[in-house]
Amino acid sequence: MKSGRLGALIRAAIHLAVLRPLVRLYCGVHVAGSAHLQQLRRFIIIANHNSHLDVFLLFSLLSARDIALTHPVADETYFARFPIVFALVRFLFQPVWIRRGHPDRNDDPLRGLKDLLDRGHNLVVFPEGTRGRPGELQAFKSGLGRLVSEYPGVPIVPVFLSGPERVLPKSSVIPLPFWSHVLVGPPQVCIGSPRDITHHLQNTLCVLSQSGVIRRRPRQRRLQRHQPAPAVAILGIDGSGKSTVSRRLAQHLSTEGNACLVSDRLEFFENGEPKPLQPLGLEAARGLVGRYAKRARSLAHYKIPKLTELLLRDRLLAEVNRWYAPRIIVLDGSPLLNIAAWAVLYRKEHLDDDTLAKAIAVLAGDKPGPRRTDPVFAELPELRQLDRLGLTHLGLPRLMVLLDLPPELACARVAARGGPRQPHETEEKLGSLREAYRRVLRITAQKWNIPALTVDGTQPPDDAAGETLRFVRNNLEQNYGQPSTH
Amino acid sequence: MPLSMMIVLAIALGLSLVQGARIVLGRRWSFGSYLGFSWAFFVAFATAELWSLRAGNWVVAIISFLALREYFSMVEIRLQDRLGILGAYASIPFMFHFVTIQWYGMFIISIPVYSFLAIPLLVTLGGCEKEGTVFSIGVIDFGLFLFVYCMGHISYLMSYSIWMAAMLILNVAVCDAVSCLLQDQGKAVWARLARRYFLPLPVTVLLAVALSPWTTIPERHSAVLGALIPLLVVMGRHTGNYVEADLGVAEETVGPGRGQILDNLKSLLFVAPIVFHYIRYFLDLP
Repeated sequence: MKSGRLGALIRAAIHLAVLRPLVRLYCGVHVAGSAHLQQLRRFIIIANHNSHLDVFLLFSLLSARDIALTHPVADETYFARFPIVFALVRFLFQPVWIRRGHPDRNDDPLRGLKDLLDRGHNLVVFPEGTRGRPGELQAFKSGLGRLVSEYPGVPIVPVFLSGPERVLPKSSVIPLPFWSHVLVGPPQVCIGSPRDITHHLQNTLCVLSQSGVIRRRPRQRRLQRHQPAPAVAILGIDGSGKSTVSRRLAQHLSTEGNACLVSDRLEFFENGEPKPLQPLGLEAARGLVGRYAKRARSLAHYKIPKLTELLLRDRLLAEVNRWYAPRIIVLDGSPLLNIAAWAVLYRKEHLDDDTLAKAIAVLAGDKPGPRRTDPVFAELPELRQLDRLGLTHLGLPRLMVLLDLPPELACARVAARGGPRQPHETEEKLGSLREAYRRVLRITAQKWNIPALTVDGTQPPDDAAGETLRFVRNNLEQNYGQPSTH
Repeated sequence: MPLSMMIVLAIALGLSLVQGARIVLGRRWSFGSYLGFSWAFFVAFATAELWSLRAGNWVVAIISFLALREYFSMVEIRLQDRLGILGAYASIPFMFHFVTIQWYGMFIISIPVYSFLAIPLLVTLGGCEKEGTVFSIGVIDFGLFLFVYCMGHISYLMSYSIWMAAMLILNVAVCDAVSCLLQDQGKAVWARLARRYFLPLPVTVLLAVALSPWTTIPERHSAVLGALIPLLVVMGRHTGNYVEADLGVAEETVGPGRGQILDNLKSLLFVAPIVFHYIRYFLDLP
C-alpha cells in the first residue's frame, strides 16, 4: 500500500510538473467550462477520440487528487503491441484495460469498469470506441449506456476536444503545435434504458461540438458572386418629377431589401430609412462634374461636361454594386438612354429609328455591334470617339419608366422651382427632348425586350410613384436576383 | 541613472498606460493566458538589455512562434500540409539564428528565398493529393511572412539599438491606444482611417524626436519616422482587419488561440519591416 501511495505521488507530480506544462507550452490549450468538473467528487468523462493527445488533454483538466483516482478505458490488444509504451501508459494513466474484438460470453467486458466505479474511482471513456476520422463524431458504442444505467448516481461530463486531431492525427508520428480547445459541458445524470442513455449522451456531445467557439472556416468556400443588382431607370424631362418619384420608389423598395438611389446624389435606403454609407471617390468626382455641367451657359458648353457626368454615373453603378451590394438600384435617368436621347436632341430629327437603335447598340457594347464603317458613326462623330476610347459598354437598365409631361407644364414647374435655368430648359427644347425620350424608350423596349412603362407625369408624385412601384414589383418578382448578404 | 534602468522605466510606464486603458475599457483583455504583445516585447528588450542581446532575440522568436501557432490553428489545413507546416515552424530558428549572429544578408533572404522555396516542395512531398496545393502554399507562406519575417525585423533592429526598437514599439502602442479609445462605428472608412492617423501624429512625432538622443537617430529622421509610424499602423490594422474577418475572428469570439495575438500584432505588420529599412538605409547601418 505504501508503494502504491508513492507511485500515485510520483504520477501526480509528473502530470502536474511535466506533462501539463509541456502540452500547454507546445500546443496551446484553451479550456472552456472547467467549472463544471471542479465541484464533482465522482464523474465519468466522455469525450470524442481523434488522437493520442486526447487523454493528455483530459488529464490536464483534473485536480491533483483526481489524477490518481481517474482511469481511462483503453484497448489492451492495441497497446500490448509496444511493451515500452504499454508500461509507460500503465504507469502514467492506470488505464482499465478492455479487449476489443474478443467478446467472451462468460465474462462481463464491463467488469473492470464496474469494479472501479464501486470503489469510488472515476473513468474517462471514449464512447466512439476508437479514434475516428478527424472532426467527425461517430456512433457511440452501446457499452456506455449499459454502464451508466447501472450507476445512475455518477454524473457524466461530456467533453468535446477540438485540435488534437491536428496536433497528432492518427497516421502521424510528429506532433505539430496547434491550439487545442477543450469544451467541458454541464454534467448529465441519466436514468432510463441503456439505448436511450447512449442516444442522449451522443446528442449532448454533438451539441457541444457545434459550439461556435471551436468552429473554423471551411477550407475552400465557393465565392458568392454578387449578381449586379437590377437597375430601374426613371426617365423624363426636367421638371417631370423624376427625382421625387425615384426617391419615393427607392424608399418603398427598400422595405424588401436595401435599395440604392443614383440621382444627383447617391443615397442608400434600408427599411424605408436613409442610411449613411462610406463615400465613394468616384461619386465625389461625379458630383463636381455634375455641378459644373449645370452652370453651362449654352448647349454647346453643356455637352461635354454632361457626357462626362453620365459616363461617370454609369461607372458608379459598378462601384455601388461592389461596395454597397444593394438589392435594387433606382436610377434617376439611365446614362445610356440619356445619352441616346440627347443625341437625338442635338441632331434634331435627322436620326431615323434604325440609326438610333444602332447607336444604342454601340453604347451598350453589344456583340456583334455595328462595324466601324457603319453610317451611324458618320452620323454621330461623338459616338466614334466614344467607341475609340473604349467608353461604351454602358449598362442597360432592367426596367424603364418614362414620366411623360407636356413641356409647358415642365417649364412651369422648373420656373416655380426657381434658381438659374439651364440652357435646354425652354419649352421648345424640352418638347424635342420629350419626343426623344419616347423614341428611345420605344426602340429599346422593342429591340432589347426591356419592360417599359409610361406614367402620366401630371398626376401627383405619390400616385406616379405608386404606379411605378406596382410595375416594378410585377416585373421583378421572378428574377429579382440573389438576396444581398451585405 | 544607468541606461538599462531608464529603458525599463520608460517602457514600463508607456505600456502600463496602454494596458491600463485597455483594462479600463474592458477591451479584449483577460489576464492569464493572454499575451499582451507590448508586454512581451518589453520582456524581450529587458532581457536583451539586462542579460544578453541573443536571449532578447530568442524572446522575439518565441513571440513569433506563438503568433504563427495561433494563425495555423485558425486556418484549415490538409493532412498532407503537415510537412510544410513543420517547415514553417523550422524556419523560425533558421531565421533567428542569422539574426543573433547578425548576418544581415542571410537574415534578409532566409525566408523569402529558402523557406519560400522549401515549403512548396514540402507541401508537395507530404502526399499525393494535388487539389488545394496552391491554397496550402499560399496560406503557409503568408503566415510565415507576416508572423516570422516581419517580426524578425524588430529583432534585428534590437541589434542596432534597443532604444530604436523601444521607440518603435512605444509609438505603435500610442497608435493602438488611440485606436482602442476611438468610438466611431458609424463613420465612413476614410474618416476613421484619417482620425487614426492624425490623432496620434503629434504624440508620435514628439516622442520620436524626444527619444532621438537615445535612439541616435538624427532629429529630422526621427520626425519623419514619427509621422510614418501612424500611417503604417493604420495600413497594418486595416489589412489585419480583413485577414481577421476572413479567418472568422469576430469581436465576440476572440480568445486564446482564436485571434488574440493576431489582433495585437496586426499593427506591427507594416511598421516593423519598413521602419527597419528606413533606419538601415538613411543611417547607413550594416
